[in-house]
Amino acid sequence: MLLEVKNLKKYFTISRHQHLHAVDDLSFSIGEKEVLGLVGESGSGKTTLGKTLIGIHDKTAGEVFFKGQQLPDSYTKNDFQRQAKDIQIIFQDPYNSLNSRMTAQEIIAEGLLIRDKSNLAEVKDKVAYWLHQVGLSPDYMSRYPHEFSGGQRQRIGIARALIVEPKFVVCDEPISALDVSVQAQIVQLLDKLKDSMGLTLLFIAHDLSMVRYVSDRMAVMYLGSLIEIGPSNDVYFDPKHPYTKALIASNPEPDPKYEREHETPLIKGEIPSPINLKPGCRFIGRCPMVEARCREETPALREIGENRQVACHLI
Amino acid sequence: MQDSSLSSYSPKPADFIPLTKQLDKHGISRPSLSYWQDAWIRLKKNKRAISSLYLIIGLLAFTLIGPLLWSINPNLQDLDAISQGPSFSKQALIVETPANWGGVTIDNFPSQPSPNFSGLLSSTEQIEIVGQATTQYVRLSWQPVEGASAYLIYRNDHIPESPEDLGLPLGQTLAGNQVSFEDRLQLNAQAYYYTIIATDGFNEASTFTTQQVDLTLAISARQADLRNIDVEVGATVSLPGHPFGTDYLGRDMLARTMYGARVSLFIGIIAPFIFVLFGTLYGGLAGYLGGSMDNYMMRVADFVIALPFLLFMILFKVSFGIGPGENGIIPMMLALILLAWPGTARVVRGQVLLIREADYIQAARLLGANTFYLLYRHIIPNAMGPILVTLTFAVPMAIFTEAFLSFIGMGVAPPTASWGSMSNQGIRNMLSSPHELFFPALFISITVLAFNLLGDGLRDALDTRMRGNE
Repeated sequence: MLLEVKNLKKYFTISRHQHLHAVDDLSFSIGEKEVLGLVGESGSGKTTLGKTLIGIHDKTAGEVFFKGQQLPDSYTKNDFQRQAKDIQIIFQDPYNSLNSRMTAQEIIAEGLLIRDKSNLAEVKDKVAYWLHQVGLSPDYMSRYPHEFSGGQRQRIGIARALIVEPKFVVCDEPISALDVSVQAQIVQLLDKLKDSMGLTLLFIAHDLSMVRYVSDRMAVMYLGSLIEIGPSNDVYFDPKHPYTKALIASNPEPDPKYEREHETPLIKGEIPSPINLKPGCRFIGRCPMVEARCREETPALREIGENRQVACHLI
Repeated sequence: MQDSSLSSYSPKPADFIPLTKQLDKHGISRPSLSYWQDAWIRLKKNKRAISSLYLIIGLLAFTLIGPLLWSINPNLQDLDAISQGPSFSKQALIVETPANWGGVTIDNFPSQPSPNFSGLLSSTEQIEIVGQATTQYVRLSWQPVEGASAYLIYRNDHIPESPEDLGLPLGQTLAGNQVSFEDRLQLNAQAYYYTIIATDGFNEASTFTTQQVDLTLAISARQADLRNIDVEVGATVSLPGHPFGTDYLGRDMLARTMYGARVSLFIGIIAPFIFVLFGTLYGGLAGYLGGSMDNYMMRVADFVIALPFLLFMILFKVSFGIGPGENGIIPMMLALILLAWPGTARVVRGQVLLIREADYIQAARLLGANTFYLLYRHIIPNAMGPILVTLTFAVPMAIFTEAFLSFIGMGVAPPTASWGSMSNQGIRNMLSSPHELFFPALFISITVLAFNLLGDGLRDALDTRMRGNE
């Protein structure tokens, strides 16, 4: 296992008695060169999980092991420097993730120059190589972010993260701010780079079909906790948890005939507030098959088949 | 020979180099512009901002280079030329410094009135101009009138048409045999009409005699000395004019406006630089630290914003032992610096909070950047635009504050000129000589407007949202 997460918690303090349970007691692991897709609706804590894993947020509790070594709970500058070669992130918003005062070359070279400023010519060659790798012309080196489109900016963000040749990359919804044709390009680019560099990815998204396409395994998050995890195709075509079922059913169906004949059970209501959660299953307010037991006992993830885990009492 | 060798040659595969595919396409591209280059181009398109920039440069030249070209002492008083309207260079005669004139008294003529008072000066020729009539003095003497006890002297700027139209009463002699008068009352180089009327102590004569006197512009030897004019008495020199007129003490308004700009711009530029710098550091630190520290620091800023500026200015002046009417520039600057920084601090804190949360900062931290790198490379360049805009808006605010405080008498002390104090003095003579108020007020208005328009233009030019959409 490349990355192991044990009982990870991330609470945000709102006031003295109020805590926002963004990530609540999560345990999972990611194997070497594996792509784990993380899905869930807005507000379920996907991005917080990604950022807590790599140290942008401090951990409230729990442990994260990377290559068998425990990562610090609260990062210092030196921790980041030590980790920089191993773990990187690709951000969601390509407009906020590039400094508009820097050229593409300066942005991409940042990771190299922070470490070592001595060999500028080599750095320039490397930047040109990486621009080519992400499908941009090396002529664009001296351009500023405002001269690029959203997709091109995202490619620059990818080049910035990958130029330091990390092992593990968190892709924090890298495609959700892009339009559909560009989404496919970026996903294909990530797929290609993953294979050529042997990357391990945590691919966060809310587009289920895209996640199924990219990832080996899929994890579903609801209100800060994992409710289902398993091989992508299994989870996608045979969801077990009622929430996963509803989530996959809500995916738009391209065939109108099928759509008309099969009524899709949509989840009603919205995700409840993650502030000061009560015990019991998180999904009770919206679950179609809720029982008395669900209200008292919080279901834990348990093995239900080969490589599959579900957090529900009724399965 | 050659032809035959060529025709006999049979090509081998090695002679051919495969054509590499031409990858370079013709593309239309323009050089990339950095943030500041782009902002400068957009600023140049803004006609108002650019003309304001030229105005500000012109104003700096006016106050810094101007006094070298216009070398009149701004504090030199010329009581012969007070509150004069704008004028250009003039020729002036240099005369002896006026001494007391004994006048003309006829000894063998009765000084007391007598009943056979005829009341009439016999003819105009009887009024005689003694010496040369200049703007320094006009000396008149005339033939005595039988039985007169005194003579009244009037001055007018046109020929009197009736006894009611004699003009300014200058004075009267004390006896019937005193037949001279010296006029030194604010003389200008023009024609005056002097009228002498005899009186027997009870009645003025019903007839009058008028003499036209043309005055020559003259300065006294002593004044020539003060102006460093080294010429003999009797010579004619060219006197510099007063393009902006003179004030109530005859000081040159142009020179005073030039020197007044120094005080205004000194306070208007030094004070904002210091308080914007402090506000930037304070707000930047608060924003960077964040959390409860940010909260405490900004509450302090809120507290400072609530302090009344004028009260503090007066308190500083008192505690520095500076009395009313003395120079208050230092307490004014101190009050400005101590009380005006929170505005900048708020703007910068907001910017830093915004930038600190940006993804590129997190990316840089993940790549191992230290605090100095983040500040130098990401936070300061991104916050620079709003800081610059705050600075350009702080300058006219400070200039206006200085002008206002000098206007109400809290600022510079006489004889130091500042636009505010000049306006204050000018407003007293506003109706009779409006130029004394007009010029300093015009300069305050133009300066404040120019800095505001420039700040407006800069704000538009530095706004990242405006980039790329022309």
